[in-house]
Amino acid sequence: MTGASHRPTPGDRRRIAWRSGLLQSVWNYETLQAVGFAWALLPGLDRLYPDREARSRRLAAHLEIFNSNPYLASLGLGVALRLEAEVARGAAGAERRLERLLRALRGTLGALGDQLFWAGWRPALGLAAVVAVLGTGSPWVAAVYLLAYNTLAQTVRARGVDAGYASGAGIARVLQDPFWRRATEACRTAGAFAAGAALGAGATWALAGGVRGAGVFSLSLVLLWLAGARAGSRGGRVLSPPLAFLLILALLSAIVHFTDGASG
Amino acid sequence: MTGTELALLALLGVAIYLDEWPAFQTMLSRPIVVGPLTGLALGTPAEGVLWGGVFEAIHLGFLPVGAARVPSAGLAALSGTAAAVLAGSAGPVPAALAVAVGIAGGEIGRGVDHLQRRWNGRTAERVRRRVAEGDPGAVGRGVAAALARAALLGVARTAAALAVALAAVWVFDAGPWSGPLQGSVLRQAAVAAAAVAGARLFVVGGARRTAWGMGVGAGVALAWLGTA
Repeated sequence: MTGASHRPTPGDRRRIAWRSGLLQSVWNYETLQAVGFAWALLPGLDRLYPDREARSRRLAAHLEIFNSNPYLASLGLGVALRLEAEVARGAAGAERRLERLLRALRGTLGALGDQLFWAGWRPALGLAAVVAVLGTGSPWVAAVYLLAYNTLAQTVRARGVDAGYASGAGIARVLQDPFWRRATEACRTAGAFAAGAALGAGATWALAGGVRGAGVFSLSLVLLWLAGARAGSRGGRVLSPPLAFLLILALLSAIVHFTDGASG
Repeated sequence: MTGTELALLALLGVAIYLDEWPAFQTMLSRPIVVGPLTGLALGTPAEGVLWGGVFEAIHLGFLPVGAARVPSAGLAALSGTAAAVLAGSAGPVPAALAVAVGIAGGEIGRGVDHLQRRWNGRTAERVRRRVAEGDPGAVGRGVAAALARAALLGVARTAAALAVALAAVWVFDAGPWSGPLQGSVLRQAAVAAAAVAGARLFVVGGARRTAWGMGVGAGVALAWLGTA
């Protein structure tokens, strides 16, 4: 049990947010992110449980299993810290409530974060960067890409602990906020725009390059689309994008080889 | 390849591996960033920028959700760019070789991921045992051990991927290929790959067609203004 002097401080929350960057450092097939989660939470547990034995017992509870999106996991850490403070105060049922809430949060935070970052923000930015870099050849595109990606991702990570701590068991309200749906939708719309821009810019550059340019672009477009199409006769397996790209390059290489050979 | 270049690429390899999933995920490990850095390390930043775009385009569709094991896009970009640069722009090795080396590099990365995750399982078990015995410091030591192992594996897998690149350049040097694909041809194929990946990811079932259509118009306008 602990007193008012053992409440987690803003400094503890900052340390937890910083440590959440290493959440996946011990990722494994059995406990997933649990070790990283427990280590990130440790500054808070140090504050709440000055007694080494009590601290070890609570730490062990967080080493069971945890998995989430790495950026949104900081929200889960904030919630865990808030409920750990209740457990430390001896609130009735707090331990079970914490366990239940973390179990529920695993799936929700994972789904929200994966949609927003892995299936939205990252590919949308990557797509725009590919068009920009192949069009301009500028190395600054990479710097802008890093800045744009991390402005959102690291901000969510840095502020998540405070947000989770402030809401505690009421985290559902934060997760139901329209912000998450709107942000994901905005990323996907931006991605659709960038996909269109790739097609428009590619076609224009191809036409500017004459018959060969237009041919190469159109052929690549059609073959890559076909390569990605589900091959029913192969049990629904999809040809991996790098392999499809390699086959297309090999084909183009052969065409260039023979046409150049014939003209030279 | 000089010793300094090798050391720089090894350092970059460590940063790529740590960033991919064990630490911070800043996207320093994405091909769009790794390409220019590899080019810079080998003294040809412009070529690195082009290859960064190519490898980003072909790895756009891999999403690292849940326990999915995906090829290492960063190692693919590092080894593929190195192969392209080592072959030389006027050399006999076609762009297809660089992509093939990149695919091999990405698969080496995927294999090492599996290995590291299994070793991490043993580390996690050891940590749990020690904490249960009343040693909370074991968690910090477990994290440090896993990160140190990841750094070492980062060097090892970069060395393996570069060995593949060197061997491939050496073998294909005497091969029947007549010359590299021109940069413009490679660019066209890469933009097509990006457009297809983007359409599959974001315009599935015709959703967001308005945004896609506006993008087509904007792309045409930008490219036309750029080439006019």
